[in-house]
Amino acid sequence: MSDGRIDRRTALQMAGAVATTSLVLGTGARAQTPRQVPMTIVINQSPWFDGFRKIVELYEKETGNKVNLDVNPFAGSLEKQRNSVRAAQGLFDLLIMNGLFYAEMYHGGFLTPINDIDPSFKLDPAIPTFDDTVFFDPVTKTNSSKGKLMSVPINPNIPLLYYRADLYQQKGLKVPTTWDELLANAKALHNPPQMYGIVQRGARGPSDVTYDWFPYFNGFGGELFKDEKAGDFTVTINSPNGKAALEYYVRLAKEAGHPNTGGQAQAQVIQNVVTGKAAHAILVIAAWAQMDDPSKSAVVGKMNLALPPSAPGFKPAPTVGHWLGGIPKNVPKDRQQAALAFMNWFQTYKAQVEYTKAGAPPVRLDVMASDMAKEPANRWMKAMQEGLPLGRQMWTIPEGAQIVAITELRLNQAVTGEMTPAAALNACAKEIHEVIEKGGYKTGRLPDLT
Amino acid sequence: MTVLGSNELSAAALPATPAIRGGLLDRFWPGVSLAPSILLFLILTLLPIANLVVMSFHDITWQQGRATWTPVGLRHYAALANDPLFKAGIGNTAVFATVAVAVQMLLGFFLAVLTSRVFHGRVIYRTIFVLPILVPGIVIGAMWKLMYNFDFGIINQAIGLVGMMPRDFLGDRSLALASVIVVDIWHWTPFCFLLLLAGLESLPQDVFEAARIDGAGFWQELRHIILPLMLPTIAVTLLFRLIVAFKVFDEVFLLTGGGPGTSTEVVSFSIYRRFFTEDRMGYGSAMSVVTLFGLALLIIVAQGVARQMRRT
Repeated sequence: MSDGRIDRRTALQMAGAVATTSLVLGTGARAQTPRQVPMTIVINQSPWFDGFRKIVELYEKETGNKVNLDVNPFAGSLEKQRNSVRAAQGLFDLLIMNGLFYAEMYHGGFLTPINDIDPSFKLDPAIPTFDDTVFFDPVTKTNSSKGKLMSVPINPNIPLLYYRADLYQQKGLKVPTTWDELLANAKALHNPPQMYGIVQRGARGPSDVTYDWFPYFNGFGGELFKDEKAGDFTVTINSPNGKAALEYYVRLAKEAGHPNTGGQAQAQVIQNVVTGKAAHAILVIAAWAQMDDPSKSAVVGKMNLALPPSAPGFKPAPTVGHWLGGIPKNVPKDRQQAALAFMNWFQTYKAQVEYTKAGAPPVRLDVMASDMAKEPANRWMKAMQEGLPLGRQMWTIPEGAQIVAITELRLNQAVTGEMTPAAALNACAKEIHEVIEKGGYKTGRLPDLT
Repeated sequence: MTVLGSNELSAAALPATPAIRGGLLDRFWPGVSLAPSILLFLILTLLPIANLVVMSFHDITWQQGRATWTPVGLRHYAALANDPLFKAGIGNTAVFATVAVAVQMLLGFFLAVLTSRVFHGRVIYRTIFVLPILVPGIVIGAMWKLMYNFDFGIINQAIGLVGMMPRDFLGDRSLALASVIVVDIWHWTPFCFLLLLAGLESLPQDVFEAARIDGAGFWQELRHIILPLMLPTIAVTLLFRLIVAFKVFDEVFLLTGGGPGTSTEVVSFSIYRRFFTEDRMGYGSAMSVVTLFGLALLIIVAQGVARQMRRT
């Protein structure tokens, strides 16, 4: 944990140690949840939302506390959160913040450190800190465990490689661990328009092609900044590794992908997978709930999961797209307490088991290490357990919304052939550098790629 | 006998006290009675615009939950010239508004003339033609996105029946803007139709009867009676539609998100991105002010042209 990541062995040891305690304490903690004033949660309509809705219903049933859900599209949720935290008194008591924009809430000073509401509150040790993104040190302005606890993980979203296990068996294919193997397997199963070797999320959206490309980028050894944790924000997106990653991404789309990769957002990728038209997709774990649902899927029992591949010499790098629950400063104390009471209940082992049963991936590692993982329906848990410790943040600075607007445009232009990968990365580097320089960070940029 | 106008009548009905007749109250009453409306207009319209202008000269950041306004002079305005989204947005919006409105006006006029000449079932035709404008924008976006879908859309299925290859209507750079324009035409032609039909139905019928007695045919009626008499209605409809078309947002947001690349980026969407998504309120305000100025200019020019046409 010293570098802020979760060591797998440590995580599993922690999970084992706390599992029994949690089992014993879980029910008790729920039973002791005192009556609270009604509270409102602002949340996005993600594939895992249905599971969250069900767990909120269970909370209301068990505790008698009233929770209102304000459900929005991805971008709409951010706008509502901004408007609420900037008002004299906020509308929302619990913000469900994406890994892309939680930083602006921390840096802007909009959230109450959780221990200011309840000094005795502790993040359950079975819940990973997701690269320490739950903490914030207002002095150094970094995500450090030495800082204050600002949020509780709500969803552990990471992308994994979804593949058609039935077709792999038929063709005698091996689960890919390198990008070359993925390309070979995708080409072997590519038979358009009946079957696409892979469907990538190459559209320009709030965070489509960027989030999809980052596991490739980091998996090829690319880094957005030279050393973000050490405060060196030299822009390195247009490194040779970055170029290799983008060229590969475009080649994969051309040789084994969907003919409209540049127009595929997450909904279209899921649509292609569940209708049996995609042999592979690198998709968030939150989409798994639909795979084995007979009312939504034509590939029930046919999909399996693995870690995203990587280039030789580099580790797989699933991009952390997690969601965190934070409590705003500008809501009354009793509503802050109501929000914290919900999170306190939410992080218990039993609540997380129910959350999993409702179709959402849990945030507790001990749930993923439990007997539940042996059930065929939960075959995703193994890959998830392996992937979480490898999870990588895209960035941790509040300028994320500006950076993603740049990368969404330029990467999409590369995917659609409007720009070469080198030109797209050079444009990204130039524009991101301008944003970072304006933000007052120590920065620079690499020479343009040719 | 003296016939009084309504104003004179009401004045005559009032008690003839010098304080009221021609006095202070008479002079100031119009201003006093309009004051609440003017105040409301100032608060709801001019104040936000003034705030927008002030914001456009600042950078706004948030620290400790408080906004910090840093003056930047004209820097935001200068940066607009090099903004790839804004430049693409201006170009695409101009193409979008010109093509979409031109087709809508022609189609709307054609349908209005056709409907005005139908005597049986006119209400049914009118109801059918106005249906698209009653559908909420969000439904239109979802509906057309499904219809345009490369893999499952009904349009590709239909063209597949005649042996054509599926087309990527929203993902192909050469087709995306045209596909959005088609949706806008479908959505807004009823608006033109309704206004033009109302104009047609209010034309004096004796002129048509006289023309027919003189042996005028349909084309002569169209050229020498309908078009000249309809000019004010056409000008107003065109102006309304142009203003709304230049502000297009929902169709682009729902169908393409401005992509692929910048092929369907429009000004309103660029402002939305910069102002809200990227949270660059100062820069987004500068974009809004320039767009507002451009639209105001367009309205003034269009009104001038319409006035000139009416005169000639």
